[in-house]
Amino acid sequence: MSAHKPRILVIDDEPQIHRFLGPALDAAGYEPVRADTAADGLREIARKPPDVVVLDLGLPDMDGKQALEKARAFYKGPIIILSARDRETEKIDALDMGADDYVEKPFGVGELLARIRAALRHKLQDVGAEPIVTAGDLTIDLIKRLVTRSGVPIRVSPREYDLLAQLVGGGGKVVTHRQLLTAVWGPAHEQDVQYLRVFVGQLRQKIEKDPAQPVLILTEPGVGYRWMG
Amino acid sequence: MTYDEPRRPDPDALLAATASPGRGRLKVFLGMSPGVGKTYGMLRAARRRKAEGGDVVVGVVETHGRRDTQALLRDVEVMARKPISYRERTLLEFDLDAAIARKPALLLVDEYAHSNAPGSRHPKRWQDVEEILAAGIDVWTTLNVQHLESLVDVVWKITGVRQRETVPDGALSRADEIELIDITPAELRERMAEGKVYLGETAKVAAERFFKTENLTALRELALRRAAQTVDDQLIGAMRRAGVEGPWAAGERILVLIGPDAMAGSLVRAGRRLSDMMMDAPWTAAHVERPNLAPPSPAAAQRLRDAVKLAEQLGGATVTLTGDDLVESVLDYARRNNLTQIVVGKARSQRNPFRRHLITALLEETSGAAVHVITESADPQQAVEVPRRRADPRAWLGHLGALGAVVAAGGVAWLVDRYAESANLAMVFMLSVLVSGLAFGLWPAVTAATAAALTYNFFFLEPRLSFYIGHPADVFTFAVFFAVAMTTGWLTGRIRDQSRATSRRASAISAVLSATRRLSAAARAEDAATALAEQLAAATAGRAVVLTPVEGDIEIAAASPPLDALSPGDMAAARWAWEKGEPAGAGTGTLPNAGWTFRPLQGVKSRAGVVGVEPKALASEDGERFVAALLDQGAVALERAEFAAAAAGAEALRRSDRLRSALFNSISHDLRTPLSTVLGSATTLIDFGKSLAPKVRADLLQSIREEAERLNRYVGDLLDMTRLEGGALTTRREWVDVRDVLRAAVDRVKRRLQKRRIDRDYPTQLPMIMADGSLLEQALVNILENAIAYSPDGTSIEVAAYEDRGNVVISIEDEGRGIPTTELERVFERFRRMEEATDRGKGAGLGLAISKGFVEAMGGRIAAASPIHEGRGTRILISLPKETVTPGFML
Repeated sequence: MSAHKPRILVIDDEPQIHRFLGPALDAAGYEPVRADTAADGLREIARKPPDVVVLDLGLPDMDGKQALEKARAFYKGPIIILSARDRETEKIDALDMGADDYVEKPFGVGELLARIRAALRHKLQDVGAEPIVTAGDLTIDLIKRLVTRSGVPIRVSPREYDLLAQLVGGGGKVVTHRQLLTAVWGPAHEQDVQYLRVFVGQLRQKIEKDPAQPVLILTEPGVGYRWMG
Repeated sequence: MTYDEPRRPDPDALLAATASPGRGRLKVFLGMSPGVGKTYGMLRAARRRKAEGGDVVVGVVETHGRRDTQALLRDVEVMARKPISYRERTLLEFDLDAAIARKPALLLVDEYAHSNAPGSRHPKRWQDVEEILAAGIDVWTTLNVQHLESLVDVVWKITGVRQRETVPDGALSRADEIELIDITPAELRERMAEGKVYLGETAKVAAERFFKTENLTALRELALRRAAQTVDDQLIGAMRRAGVEGPWAAGERILVLIGPDAMAGSLVRAGRRLSDMMMDAPWTAAHVERPNLAPPSPAAAQRLRDAVKLAEQLGGATVTLTGDDLVESVLDYARRNNLTQIVVGKARSQRNPFRRHLITALLEETSGAAVHVITESADPQQAVEVPRRRADPRAWLGHLGALGAVVAAGGVAWLVDRYAESANLAMVFMLSVLVSGLAFGLWPAVTAATAAALTYNFFFLEPRLSFYIGHPADVFTFAVFFAVAMTTGWLTGRIRDQSRATSRRASAISAVLSATRRLSAAARAEDAATALAEQLAAATAGRAVVLTPVEGDIEIAAASPPLDALSPGDMAAARWAWEKGEPAGAGTGTLPNAGWTFRPLQGVKSRAGVVGVEPKALASEDGERFVAALLDQGAVALERAEFAAAAAGAEALRRSDRLRSALFNSISHDLRTPLSTVLGSATTLIDFGKSLAPKVRADLLQSIREEAERLNRYVGDLLDMTRLEGGALTTRREWVDVRDVLRAAVDRVKRRLQKRRIDRDYPTQLPMIMADGSLLEQALVNILENAIAYSPDGTSIEVAAYEDRGNVVISIEDEGRGIPTTELERVFERFRRMEEATDRGKGAGLGLAISKGFVEAMGGRIAAASPIHEGRGTRILISLPKETVTPGFML
């Protein structure tokens, strides 16, 4: 980890959120930056790109998705969405549009910090590109397209492997149904969520220790899947 | 092209055939006279049917004490008759409703031509039978040929007895089957002699008057012919349905010309008989309305309407032609409609100079049409029935006035003659004729002209005081004077009559127009009904009632003059009109004993209701037309109002949907935001409590407390709103000092004031009011919180109370940005909040709505004003009524 504290930009119009997030981020070793409107937030990103952006979707001056779109035009770093559960479609749209993760309101600080950590790790992976992923005794060699447990190869079909690679590539952030379907089956199948049910089920049978209690591939109901390896 | 094409079935015939399923079949046992054994024959057939297992019920049978017939009634289900009291007597009548309720497969209803007791639903039994058939029950009935409407004249000529109980020919044509009960006249007379027909003395009297062999022979022929004709009709019907080209006289079209005279009825019957002879050729009864003539007297108009009604009953079409020239109108109509037969009447006494003219013109100018001239018959009974045309008393006054005008002219002429030697006195008389014509109309003017000529001659032409004319030149002068006077009188009289007619029409039109305007302005159904009732009542100078459907039944929607309820009989007629979509009540064929005439209001898509008017409103043709026009307008207006109400209901639903989604958003945002803060702050303290500075820790705890309170307020708001919405709000009424309540409310918001000031302005004397202290306090707290939320730190909030015109007024002013004028009206709506709030998220937009609800529940009012000074600030005013009584404890 570099010497400087990662800068976390929080864009939210609720002063109460800043009131506890500021001290919490500070205490967790980050440098919190506050923005009350989307316009302020975008200006701050442009001035000095933060390491992670936390963006509330319900902003008074701009639609959250619009703000996301504008930010993505000049910012490649991780963006975590704060959203309410009843705005499900908005949340999925935001993920599809390039947001990296989301946290549902109301949330505990620990949850948000975990997402921030995952986002920062992913950012580093992007830079360093880790070709071999391990999770316990499971190893996935992304160059050789090989999945092994304790050195014993596990047979996976090409589709299953593609799906696993997409999930692992997410690096702990949620990958939406649409992203998975488009990448593995092609854009014509972006609505065929039932494919995912079947193939994720098969993958869990092969790689999870207890397929009924998955710990590697987690389901985000209505949104997508997350690799927790 | 036509030789190979199969003939298409006649659509009318197919329609008539398709109308049959579901409807009962009618069989008529037809006889030439009483005593031939129709009832006996019917009962025997019925017993056979019953023996075969049919569900046969006798609805009503008149045995006339005949033993053979009575014997046949044994072992057959006979329905109880319904007692109907009429003029202190109780008549036992056929029970129509019970028959329909019993719903047998076959019902026997004797004496098709019977007239029901007054007060029954239908005046005639054949109408009862219609209803039973419509209910899907087969009916057998009996009929003597003499009771057929179109044969009334003929039977009267044969027997000298005019039948009062008649059945329209259509009622017999509708029979699916006719069985002729035929015995020879000799046989019948024999049976009578044996006492099988009538009992006792009546038999002899009847035999002498009616049952003469020659009468019976003629009636028998009528019956045989009628039965044969029905067989013909059925054959033709079958051929038409099959598309077989028949032997019917295609293209025969009959026109019956009727006028408002005694012959109208006979002409209509003649038309029907002619149509029968021509294989049911279509026939039309026409009457020409002539705007240039004075309207017929009420009695004549009644005769005309009766004739038109009769024509419709007999299955003819009716048409009213309009034109100044009678002959031209008729010929034009005849040419355009390819009429082949024209029936006109010729009165014996040539009272009507136009009639002969018409016949001559018809004979000369029609081509290819037969003209039937029916001569008036001496009909003593009819003469009694139809009162002679009564002289209009006002017409008599007109003549008197005309004579008065001539007398006045004579006086003036005498004065002029005395003082001015050579004056032209004839002009003075001419003036009196002109005046008479303008003032009293055509015939008084003619009277005046005659009187003026005679007076002039007698008093002013030499030798005076004699009708003898001395100078030959004066004879010429007199002749010219007379001619000019007559012409002038006739012309002015006609002009006056025509202008009267025009203005009458114009006023009728303007009445319709004004009614239309009122009706089209009515947005709600109640308004339309009220407008319709009032316009009808005003236009007909009588009463009017409008009934509209309410949950399957109809109820009075409006009446003029107001009316709470209709009598059961009237209501029954109204329901009938509603259910069947046909007129009912007084002056119609259904429940004519009702006090009203009910007409259905037929809208474009549905029946909008029923209108009742007094029968006299429909007595004149103008009245009838006017009412009909108003009913059309009224039906459309009512229907439109219903649509508007449905649209408004949909709009209300949409609005409540919007409200629900606003509520949903509000809960989602306003509950979750404070929860986020509480959860976030608490987890921060748990995870990093040790590494946080004490000041930061205190701030996080403070934030948890504030947000929990905010959450509590919001839940309280939601509960208050629910109480208001659900109608569960109960207000206690107690003596309250407004200043105390204000103090308590200010205390409750004090902690949230921060750097804002509260300025109080209460008078030392303020009357107590009756109110619910806790509701008022909550209303004030909401307003104060709003003022705090929308005004910046360092400003002041002014709270004042004062007495104003019997009210106690509370005023709360802030120095915030104010409310745009466009938003002012809506600040009290639910979930409305200003986005520019300095302290956003403070409220859910419920506070002011709750305040309004609470204040109104206490009988007060609430209003907002903004901006109040220098373009800033909002003032909320609450006004509560001051009690007029002084509280007991202060006395």
